[in-house]
Amino acid sequence: MRNDLELDAIIEDYLLGKLNAQETEALEQLRRNDATVDHKVVSHKFFLESMGIFAEQLRLKDQLNEIHSEIDVEGLASTLRPHPSRVVQLWRKHKSAIAVAASFIVLSLVSIYSIQHNTKQAERYRQLSNQVNNAIKTQNSLIRKIKHNNTTSDKPNIQNSFGGTGFAISTNGYILTNLHIINGADSLYVQNSKGESFKVKSVYTDPQNDIAILKINDKHFSNLSSIPYTIKRTTSNIGEIVYTLGYPKDDAVLGEGYVSSKNGFIGDTTQYQVAISVNPGNSGGPILDNNGNLVGIISGKPDQTEGAAFAIKSKYILEAMRAIPQDSLGVNKLSVNKKSLLSGLKRTKQIEKIQDYVFMIKAY
Amino acid sequence: MNNSLKSSVPTDREVILGILNNSEDTLNKLYKAYYAMVLQFILNNNGDEDDAKDVYQEAIIILYNKIKEGNFELSSKLKTYIYSVCRRIWLKKLSLNSKKTGSITDYEDVFAVEEDVEHHEEKDAAFVKMQSALDHLGEPCKTIIQDFYIHNLSMQDICEKFGYTNTDNAKTQKYKCLQRLKKIFFQP
Repeated sequence: MRNDLELDAIIEDYLLGKLNAQETEALEQLRRNDATVDHKVVSHKFFLESMGIFAEQLRLKDQLNEIHSEIDVEGLASTLRPHPSRVVQLWRKHKSAIAVAASFIVLSLVSIYSIQHNTKQAERYRQLSNQVNNAIKTQNSLIRKIKHNNTTSDKPNIQNSFGGTGFAISTNGYILTNLHIINGADSLYVQNSKGESFKVKSVYTDPQNDIAILKINDKHFSNLSSIPYTIKRTTSNIGEIVYTLGYPKDDAVLGEGYVSSKNGFIGDTTQYQVAISVNPGNSGGPILDNNGNLVGIISGKPDQTEGAAFAIKSKYILEAMRAIPQDSLGVNKLSVNKKSLLSGLKRTKQIEKIQDYVFMIKAY
Repeated sequence: MNNSLKSSVPTDREVILGILNNSEDTLNKLYKAYYAMVLQFILNNNGDEDDAKDVYQEAIIILYNKIKEGNFELSSKLKTYIYSVCRRIWLKKLSLNSKKTGSITDYEDVFAVEEDVEHHEEKDAAFVKMQSALDHLGEPCKTIIQDFYIHNLSMQDICEKFGYTNTDNAKTQKYKCLQRLKKIFFQP
């Protein structure tokens, strides 16, 4: 018994590596010679390993228990326990599924909204293109808004009136101007350079070319002397010096420049583009070349470009005039064949001569 | 409490490195990170807080041993792994107690862990065997053996603790106890 215990101690020390070389050698000798000693060594080795694992697991469990004691189990349990209400239970169970469903719904709503939104945008675009189409017809109309705040109080009720320019096409009171100046007006007046006003009425309109012809219908009006300018039959070349006289304010204003393009707004072949800086009120003004030939009528200007204007080509003036009974225009009408009275004159003289034939148009 | 638990969830990599380095702090964080999840699962599947504790600790031990053995490959999130192990253990316990296992209320994805759980059960059997052997040993042998092998006290400490006149006597006593323990432990 005593020997057994000593042997056990020696085996344990051997397995734990505590024996010195001599003792180790002695035990290994013993193991080889005695099968029971060898068995004891092996079984003790196994036992020690089991004990090691046991000890480790036990320590781990202690550690876990210690951590566990730090947790407020009751508090957690009360929030996590199956809730008496089925709704809450369902919510907890299917939290993630509900979240997925909700986000899907949100996503669909967003996409539906954006699809509708996109459709709206397309509509708006179409509207815009309509506006562009309108703009091709009217461009940026150069109508002057006349403020009546400072005028005499005998016409206090008139809120809006517009003004433009027009010019005589016959000596007996036919005046040509832009249609957009007089469109929708109740009554029309023209005023000459001396400040005399005459009542006029519209006798012809050409919406396509934005041309209107007015007739002075006033007993105070006496016939003009012969028209100084003539109509240019051929189209003008780029670079040709031209000028216009108009009424952007209450006095006539001269604008000078050159033909800058043979086509007008977005390639409109019925118009020229001229490099004359014009203002609201210039609309309907005549464009003349150096020889006093009528090249066109100022009708509009591009929105974005400064110092440019569009002018209706003179051949449409002729077309408009043909639409009026030729007899009513009288003998001394604007014509193609006659030689212009302005030819060879200096600009100041030319202006002097034509200013009686250029009128301010007032539309109420 | 709940919030502080959630806020300190360690990353999976942190957990594995921490356990390999015997970091108590990591174990602490790991334990607190996923306890609520398991508690919820057990409470909603015919269990109570104590069941949750047992199952959860077993799962943590399985994970701990697996990482220590060095063959842990992170093929899923740790959270999923722990949940799956707990689920597996709890299902087994339910069927052992012949409680109804018809409809299990799941809260997380499940991952196949049968092998790990069975491997653990074998190990656990050895643990239970040693535990019962120690319990059968009786005092003072049980305490002497525990002090020496588990709490790593020296023979000198044990000698003083139990009032032996010298360490040789203590040693003799220890080997007597050890012989008896081995006899019980190796009993078929």
